[in-house]
Amino acid sequence: MRTASQSPATGTGGEPGFRGVISVSFGAADASADHDADGVSRQDLRFASANPEALANLRSVLAHSRVGVRLVLAGPPADVHAAASAVAVCGLVDEEITILCDEVGPRVIFCGHCHTSTTTDHAIGTDVVCQGCATTLTFTDHFSRRVGGYLGFSAHAEEAA
Amino acid sequence: MTATALQTKVHPALEGSLLLEVTSVRAQTNSITSISFGHPLGEQLPSYVPGSHLVVQYGTGANSYSLTGAGSAPTEYTISVLRVEDGAGGSLAMHALSVGDRVQVSRPRSAFAPAATAKHHLLIAAGIGITPVLSHARYAAEWGASASLIYVHRPGTGAHVEDARELLGSDLTECTDRNSFREVLTTKLTTQKLGTHLYVCGPTDFMDSVLEQARDLGWPKGLLHSEAFSAAALDDGQPFAVNLVRSGVKLDVPAGVSLLETLESAGLNIPNMCRKGICGECAAPVLRGAPQHRDLYLTDQEKADNTTIMCCVSRSLDKELELDL
Ligand code: FES
Ligand SMILES: [Zn+2]
Repeated sequence: MRTASQSPATGTGGEPGFRGVISVSFGAADASADHDADGVSRQDLRFASANPEALANLRSVLAHSRVGVRLVLAGPPADVHAAASAVAVCGLVDEEITILCDEVGPRVIFCGHCHTSTTTDHAIGTDVVCQGCATTLTFTDHFSRRVGGYLGFSAHAEEAA
Repeated sequence: MTATALQTKVHPALEGSLLLEVTSVRAQTNSITSISFGHPLGEQLPSYVPGSHLVVQYGTGANSYSLTGAGSAPTEYTISVLRVEDGAGGSLAMHALSVGDRVQVSRPRSAFAPAATAKHHLLIAAGIGITPVLSHARYAAEWGASASLIYVHRPGTGAHVEDARELLGSDLTECTDRNSFREVLTTKLTTQKLGTHLYVCGPTDFMDSVLEQARDLGWPKGLLHSEAFSAAALDDGQPFAVNLVRSGVKLDVPAGVSLLETLESAGLNIPNMCRKGICGECAAPVLRGAPQHRDLYLTDQEKADNTTIMCCVSRSLDKELELDL
């Protein structure tokens, strides 16, 4: 794993900071390839996965960025969404973030019943068993940045009711 | 007994409103006066969200004014009014008020609220546009939120300059000419930490140019907030027709005549107050057709939905609108 070299500018709001495109790639993905930013300055960050260290690194890059910046997140869904959720605390709005998800790869399913997160390789629309309460969950493409996962709900709710 | 019970003739749009007493009148500048209203029995008034406005009745008309306080548990509502000699008369009526006068006012309405998720509030005001922004600054000071203000005013004619200095200290940048403002604005727009929200209030062309420059510098729409305190002059517009489904009548709205006037002359009783697209009283449900939205009341989303028209100012993009009236 390597991270972009960046002069560690410190201090608060009043100084110039980075306002270009920050491309963040997880795993084998390449965020910079999908997003051409002609004439716009850019920073490339590459991480093996969205582990706590990587997310802390990303947040510190954002702390040195200024409004006008655009963030591109590319990689497996679980990593990309963990990153999207982590940067939400920096106050970024949806318009500032582009998400490029790998078609396949692990996703995080957030159980609507017991609030446990389960990681799965299953595709959207399939069932997965919740690690927390063993409910068979189905999940759609409803992704919550707040919980950093797809909402899973009991696959057989209507039958149980 | 509620204060409203004292009043006999209330503007229809002000029902559920408050009858308040003028508690103080202070000249801010030669043309701007601050007026405070309190409950006749000294009771506490409903709290409001920073950036809210109040609709105040005068004679047969009504006008909306921004509240300048922080809004939590107020005992007074304070507005600052710029005297407009050739206006519809609202500002002159406000300037004629004196302590002890009773006035019918709406409950505060919020249309310029601070974003709860903001990390910093960048406030920008020109002239009398300081009023709602001062409310934001007071709120930020009261709750320890991070805020800074760029205030454009001509020397000697700025209202609340001392208040702003006291509230913001070194976080206040005063500009007294356009060139220095342009420089300050460019610097501020390119040096804000992520999560900063921008709030601008002032003349329409001032707000437009601030918002345009912000967008050019990469500010997403979701971070931009503006409050129009004066409606821009509207053109006459194109003629169109309205089909009133429930009343079973079809009316023509000629160019230069508003939909509200057309409905009124056909005998319909449409609640209204500001008659300039600000207060939101004259909303009419749209069943079919795309309105040409010209009001300042509906949100962008509500405008896109095309299910409501503010009939005092808005017209139609289609030849005919179908209304649920
Ligand atoms: S009367 Fe106020 S918006 Fe139409
Ligand atoms: Zn569960």
